[in-house]
Amino acid sequence: MTTYSTVGKPITRVEGSHKVTGDSLYAADIQLPGMLHCKLLRSPHAHARIVGIDASKALALEGVERVITAADLPTFSEKRMSNRGYNLLADDEVVFNGQPVVAVLAETPSIAEEALDLIDIEYEELPAVLDALAAMEDGSPLARKPIMEIDRSEAKGHVSVDVKEERSDKPSNIASQAKFSRGDIDQGIAEADCIVENTWRSAMMHQGYIEPHSTVADFDAASGELTIWSATQGQFFVRDQISNMLRIPETKIRVIGMELGGGFGGKIFLTQTLTAVLAKIAGRPVKLIFTRKDDLQGATPSAGCVVELKTGMKKDGSITVIKAKIVYDSGAFPGASAVVGAILLGGYYRFPNLEIETYEVLTNKVSVGAIRAPGAHNVTFAIESQMDMMARELQLDPLEVRMQNAVSEGDAMPTEVKYPRIGMKECLEAVRDSDLWKSRGTKQNGNGKARGVGLAIGGWLGGLQPASAHVELNGDGTVKVLVGANDISGTNTSFAQIAAEELGLPLEMVSVATGDTKTSPFAGMSAGSKTLFTVGRAVKAAAEDARQQLFDIAAERLEANPDDMESFEGEIRVKGSPDKSIPFRRLAGITTGFGALYPPVVGKGSITARKQAPGFTAQVAEVEVDEETGQVTLLNWGIVQDAGFAINPLSVAGQMQGGATQGIGIGLWEEMVYDDEGKLINDGLLDYRMPTALDVPNIATHIVEVPSEEGPYGARGVGEPSIIPGAAAISNAVEDAIGVRVTEAPITPERILRAMGKI
Amino acid sequence: MAKLEVHYTINGRKHEAYIEPNLTLLDVVRDDLRLTGSKEGCGTGDCGACTMIVDGKLVTACLMLAPQADGAEITTIEGVAENGTLHPVQQAFLDKGAVQCGFCIPGMILAGKVLLDQNPKPNDYEIREAIAGNLCRCTGYTKIVEAIAAAAEA
Repeated sequence: MTTYSTVGKPITRVEGSHKVTGDSLYAADIQLPGMLHCKLLRSPHAHARIVGIDASKALALEGVERVITAADLPTFSEKRMSNRGYNLLADDEVVFNGQPVVAVLAETPSIAEEALDLIDIEYEELPAVLDALAAMEDGSPLARKPIMEIDRSEAKGHVSVDVKEERSDKPSNIASQAKFSRGDIDQGIAEADCIVENTWRSAMMHQGYIEPHSTVADFDAASGELTIWSATQGQFFVRDQISNMLRIPETKIRVIGMELGGGFGGKIFLTQTLTAVLAKIAGRPVKLIFTRKDDLQGATPSAGCVVELKTGMKKDGSITVIKAKIVYDSGAFPGASAVVGAILLGGYYRFPNLEIETYEVLTNKVSVGAIRAPGAHNVTFAIESQMDMMARELQLDPLEVRMQNAVSEGDAMPTEVKYPRIGMKECLEAVRDSDLWKSRGTKQNGNGKARGVGLAIGGWLGGLQPASAHVELNGDGTVKVLVGANDISGTNTSFAQIAAEELGLPLEMVSVATGDTKTSPFAGMSAGSKTLFTVGRAVKAAAEDARQQLFDIAAERLEANPDDMESFEGEIRVKGSPDKSIPFRRLAGITTGFGALYPPVVGKGSITARKQAPGFTAQVAEVEVDEETGQVTLLNWGIVQDAGFAINPLSVAGQMQGGATQGIGIGLWEEMVYDDEGKLINDGLLDYRMPTALDVPNIATHIVEVPSEEGPYGARGVGEPSIIPGAAAISNAVEDAIGVRVTEAPITPERILRAMGKI
Repeated sequence: MAKLEVHYTINGRKHEAYIEPNLTLLDVVRDDLRLTGSKEGCGTGDCGACTMIVDGKLVTACLMLAPQADGAEITTIEGVAENGTLHPVQQAFLDKGAVQCGFCIPGMILAGKVLLDQNPKPNDYEIREAIAGNLCRCTGYTKIVEAIAAAAEA
């Protein structure tokens, strides 16, 4: 096995201390001279026609500069309006509670907010479509105008699948659908010794980033230049979208991705175009910061889902069949990952007979978007619960049943695409060896509450997108790395490790900067578990390029062959002759100084990513259930994940713990609750209940490393898998504890008591 | 609205501002005094990103009206490091990998600092209780708890 000096070691963040001193700049921290503040008035109705808007009282308020409605905004073709991103403000019809209708621009945020109360909008309410299953039926009212064209560019950043989606010509709430088949369903059912059939529901939930959506825009009319400071996971994506929408050439757009206060798929592209348009109209910079209510009502949360699932297993533990219908509630615009859900639902295990239909259905709720592993937790809750139920019925070990049927390299996904090398079995082996898993069966702990242990796995295919990077020698022999990827949680540290590794430098001699869209080389969005997987490869290629340039120069100076050179501890030297060497500092001098003989050393890395490296995780929950109240307490949580190669194990473990905790939130608490009229009830963080430090135990991590084909040093994407199996692991642990099965997530005390027949 | 003058001592330095009385302490500190290390995550006191120490007590500054804090001694995240040296809690957050996106971190560090000021050797539960009012969405809390425990040992 190759030994490395820098990659593979736990490294604390290289960027310095600004995130612990308050010096980091997030988009909301930007203040510009003459800046106006924007607040949005949102629809109180799920579905209504806008009859009239009277803003005269608001305009009369001192400090209010402009009141903007859709009539003031650029218009787009009818086709485009099927995409949420083009609906800057509602025109004529509102299709979800929380849809922005009016934008107020004022001198201060509080004046803008006060003005919202002074605007009268007359609505004519329309029938609201709220249940996705009912919305699919013939004759259901339409949630909005029929869908013409669906823009998948944002979703593709998360996962790359090549499946043709079917579309109906008849007006319908079904935005997209697909079907996968294999083998003979009837035969699979006939062969099974055990058939389990259930309907699994999982709630619409929110990414829950702590920083609200934030954008500042400034349009310089004289030069036609637009500058955007924004909280986004993908600054280049924002640039491209705005250029398309507003027909501004990309030479005139500068998008500056600021420090990002969490994204999890939810902070890619939402408010930037509107803010830019408002700045252009007002002729002054505009700042739009969401309130938390704005974010809960009107961002792009994660889809709710219903999975009707029938699976069969033989006495020997082999699975025979899966038949399923998946329905994602996409809200008022397309955005749910229906195809990915089907691939995962039928893709963890080797089902010889398979039939999965998957639908993305429109309703009058806020439209959904990506989340960490969009669509995955919903279907995993279903299949991983049901694997346990079949094992239980056949008195088989739940872990061994998974091991027996697990996919591995060469097995087909429901698309019939073959898996590359993956680490699902290695994850399960690590669980098998863990003390937490071995402790199963010791159920009582003396306080009258039942203990249970549950296991679930999850996998994610990962996104693919090209990336590029520069590696440059500074004047003192240190190295700077320039990338265009927004660093959310430490990727720049790993890039520094990669550059240091390839150049044989101590880490302190490398700095990494993320530039903006005008200054930095292209990178795809920081999403889809692919930042390190793709941009990391580009950094590695750029460092290798820079190293070769250094070798060539040093070889000429040392009168040696470039092939005989090596880089070691800040010097380029001739292999086997450590005395024949040139330090980086000297090489910097002769490539950057006055009269220098050699050109500057600038390494370029430019890659495209073609081979996915699916990442798997296995997680174990130990719970205690109070059978009187239905309260679930988490006692222990363990996560195993295949990182391929953990370039920074400290950072990988952090990703695992954070994702697992979000999965726990999905499993126990998090649910966007809509009332019978389609109004969001829990539009604040007191009622939208995310895990606190007292709700979760210390989360034990174990990294396994099954190298990927394309990732740097074999690394795989690690961001997303960790969120996936939480609800299923809890569901399985609860059944282990009290013998009842809850089929709806979050698994609340009320649902547990119902399942127990107590209420 | 008639403006009024407020005086604060923030991180040992005297500040004054001439403000609308309906602003929160967080608004004034961030927008008027330009100390933007304190963050607004919810505006309703639920997330803790705006945490400050006001006269020795942790407050969610998004819920405190600016005039209520008139005359107060305030510590924000910008005042935790002294003479260019990080506070042990800050250093431990870096060392333990407890920082990801960073948005909750100012509040977390202040909550950790106040805990250690009052209870130099907290146990795991006491640490979790002390930061229960501060939501973090990135880390799952494990490394934050480890960092505060490590700072207690420092």
